[in-house]
Amino acid sequence: MWQYIIKRVLGLIPLILVVSFVIFMFIHLIPGDPARLIAGKKATLEEVQVIRENLGLNKPLIEQYIVYLKDLLAGNLGYSIQSGAPVSELIGERIMPTLGLTFISIVWALVVGILLGVISAVFRNKWPDHIGMVTAVSGISLPNFWVGLVLIQLFSVQLGLLPTGGAEDWKSYLMPSFALGAGIMAMIARFTRSSLVNTLKQDYIRTGRAKGLSGNAIVFGHALKNSLIPVVTIAGLQFGFLLGGSVVVETVFSFPGLGRLLIDSIQMRDYPVVQAEILLFSLQFILVNLLVDIIYSFLNPKIRYE
Amino acid sequence: MKKRCLSLMFLLATLLVVSTACSSNSASDGNNAKNDDKEITIAIDQNFVTLDPHNAGDTVSIFGTRAMYEGLVGFDKEMNVVPVLAEDYTVSEDALTYTFKLRKDVVFHDGEPFNAEAVKVNFDRIMNENNDLRAKRNFQYVESLEIVNEYEVKFTLNQPFSAMLNKFAMVPFISPKAINNKSKDVGLNPVGTGPFKFNEWNQGDSLVVEKFDDYWNPDTTNVEKVTFKPVPENGARAAMLKTGEADFVYPVPQQKVKDLENENGVVIEKTPSTIARYVSINTFKEPFNNEKVRKAMNYAVNKDAYIKVVKNGYGEILDSTMSSETQYYSQQEPYAFNLDKAKQLMKEAGYEDGFEAEIWGNTSSETIKGMEFVKQQLAQIGIDVTIKSMEEGTLSDEIYTPKTPEESKVQMWYVSWSPSSGDADGATRSLFSSDYFPPNGANTAYYNNNQVNNWINAANETSDTTEQEKIYADIQSTVYDDAPWIFLASDTILSGYNEKLEGVYVLPDGSVSIKEAQLK
Repeated sequence: MWQYIIKRVLGLIPLILVVSFVIFMFIHLIPGDPARLIAGKKATLEEVQVIRENLGLNKPLIEQYIVYLKDLLAGNLGYSIQSGAPVSELIGERIMPTLGLTFISIVWALVVGILLGVISAVFRNKWPDHIGMVTAVSGISLPNFWVGLVLIQLFSVQLGLLPTGGAEDWKSYLMPSFALGAGIMAMIARFTRSSLVNTLKQDYIRTGRAKGLSGNAIVFGHALKNSLIPVVTIAGLQFGFLLGGSVVVETVFSFPGLGRLLIDSIQMRDYPVVQAEILLFSLQFILVNLLVDIIYSFLNPKIRYE
Repeated sequence: MKKRCLSLMFLLATLLVVSTACSSNSASDGNNAKNDDKEITIAIDQNFVTLDPHNAGDTVSIFGTRAMYEGLVGFDKEMNVVPVLAEDYTVSEDALTYTFKLRKDVVFHDGEPFNAEAVKVNFDRIMNENNDLRAKRNFQYVESLEIVNEYEVKFTLNQPFSAMLNKFAMVPFISPKAINNKSKDVGLNPVGTGPFKFNEWNQGDSLVVEKFDDYWNPDTTNVEKVTFKPVPENGARAAMLKTGEADFVYPVPQQKVKDLENENGVVIEKTPSTIARYVSINTFKEPFNNEKVRKAMNYAVNKDAYIKVVKNGYGEILDSTMSSETQYYSQQEPYAFNLDKAKQLMKEAGYEDGFEAEIWGNTSSETIKGMEFVKQQLAQIGIDVTIKSMEEGTLSDEIYTPKTPEESKVQMWYVSWSPSSGDADGATRSLFSSDYFPPNGANTAYYNNNQVNNWINAANETSDTTEQEKIYADIQSTVYDDAPWIFLASDTILSGYNEKLEGVYVLPDGSVSIKEAQLK
């Protein structure tokens, strides 16, 4: 197992090189000139040219990439074209709020989602199942920005209990994590239900019942664990997406997360920030996938990695 | 088996604890509730980009730095130029030298004195090519700076410039010590002379400034601490005014005005702005090179309906090439909505059956609404408009990449313009001078009128303000009559505040001034 993990982590290095190259070329080749965007509508051609030269954007693309790669290998992510602030600082300020929000959202979505799924599966086609699935479908159907605005209206404006936004204390994490997690919770509930319903039809479950195991022991001791593989897959994917920040929810709750930073930087063609952020997302995704693979083998010992 | 299941749950629980710990950590340095009465929060719609006052280009960064920095002169509430760090100033007869007498009682936040030497250090920083600072544009006609004595400086220009005083108001002064120590870090650690000094800036979250006790005019403000909070979502920003989380909110979304006006203790302020909304028409291309067609387009658009539909009723008809709040504005007779006249003009131009055209704009929902309105209005005279909504970076490439009018593909551009310092030159030169066709400027109408070109230069060559006023009046009436734009509206600025707060206001250029903030 450890060998496998080390191998996977070492495998990251060539992957990062490829990803960094693709990102670099991609972002530089899309239309939009950062020098012009910084200079603004009021700038003359000469002013734009000076900015372009100072940023080194007039050099051949390959040369720019080599400079970027050298800095990257030295651990220097560069400086924002727009504000001049170090990219590491810009990302550093937003990564903790994003991580916090992601963990809270995914954890509550997992706990509630699995619980709802189990209840629905056990009481299949009875009223707890219907209630559970109506909740789940609502979670998927309600757009999260709308949920967010309703929450603000209710808890901030009417009741005055929670702040409308920001990331100042634990209170400001409640509403955004609810809005973010609702859809994921619903998805997890549905996957848990269908998977568990399938498992409960298996022979070994019937055997378990025949030898007199209690309902709880069967569901939680045997069936649930074997039903979690698709749930882990979907939760892992969602986790990866959330780590990238959510533009919509961050905007509604003026939350200082990575999503808005990325959108702002793309709009201004702030190459260094965009590159660093996408590189970070790719890394996060790879790591989350690794984690998911490890959880697989833990859930089903038949899955082994060499 | 059971154990494993339990340990999985334990893992989840640990994650939960860790994640809440993460979040409360990041909260420890933020101040939770407003525990002092003399603190205010200002909610705005965008993030600050930089706090370097010599390099700020966007409105938000400019007014953020103005909380901490001051120039020799500044703007009052109506954007008139008034002395600030200068006690007095004189302009020579030939408009080539500007002499400023400096206040003697001014110190920077770090204790450094403000004097002629400090002005010089700032001037050198701005003029240094290597620094590549935006403020250099303000000094494009300035040749040199001379220190007359410790409290007097003299700027010499290489040609007269009608907007020079406005440009001086755009150049604030940084402590010479801060410049010498870490010129690059100025954008992150502001040190100025303003009534508020820097406290902290969490990029993307908030900017906090606190009262500067040694300010030269101690009674300006009684507020101890001001927090600027970027809140991009309209509904959330309006809600903050209701919950009391924000004491001042700008901009107030148009749809929320009625609702907030009914709220107890909330005041909504409507300020005319320098922001002009228009559609530029490429006068170089057929059929737009025909003046009759361009006039017909102007007559075909119902401006009152535009303001009602697109601006929710908050705006004024654009009755000149610039808004009523701009220097040397001169009112023109607007193209009144008249379909018969428009159709008649189209017939005379030989386009009775209309033609197909394209309108460009960015992807903001208001722009799209505006373009749809224009499309619908022009359809009345047979012009079949296709809307091309492009992301800002792509749009900017499409506009500024073509090197000649022939290469340009733009036909109509739905856009807005606000002169950076409220000056007539800024509202005219880059838009209507033939030297400023893209990529060198924003004359996307490719408007070329020799008389106007000459006037634009002549206005600068005289130092006589009545003469300047006359020249700009001529420019406005000529351009308005040539109709290189569809003249739509000028924006009304909407801000809202808690009635306990006084002295915080939005200037016509959209910048928030907190210098005179007073809490009752």
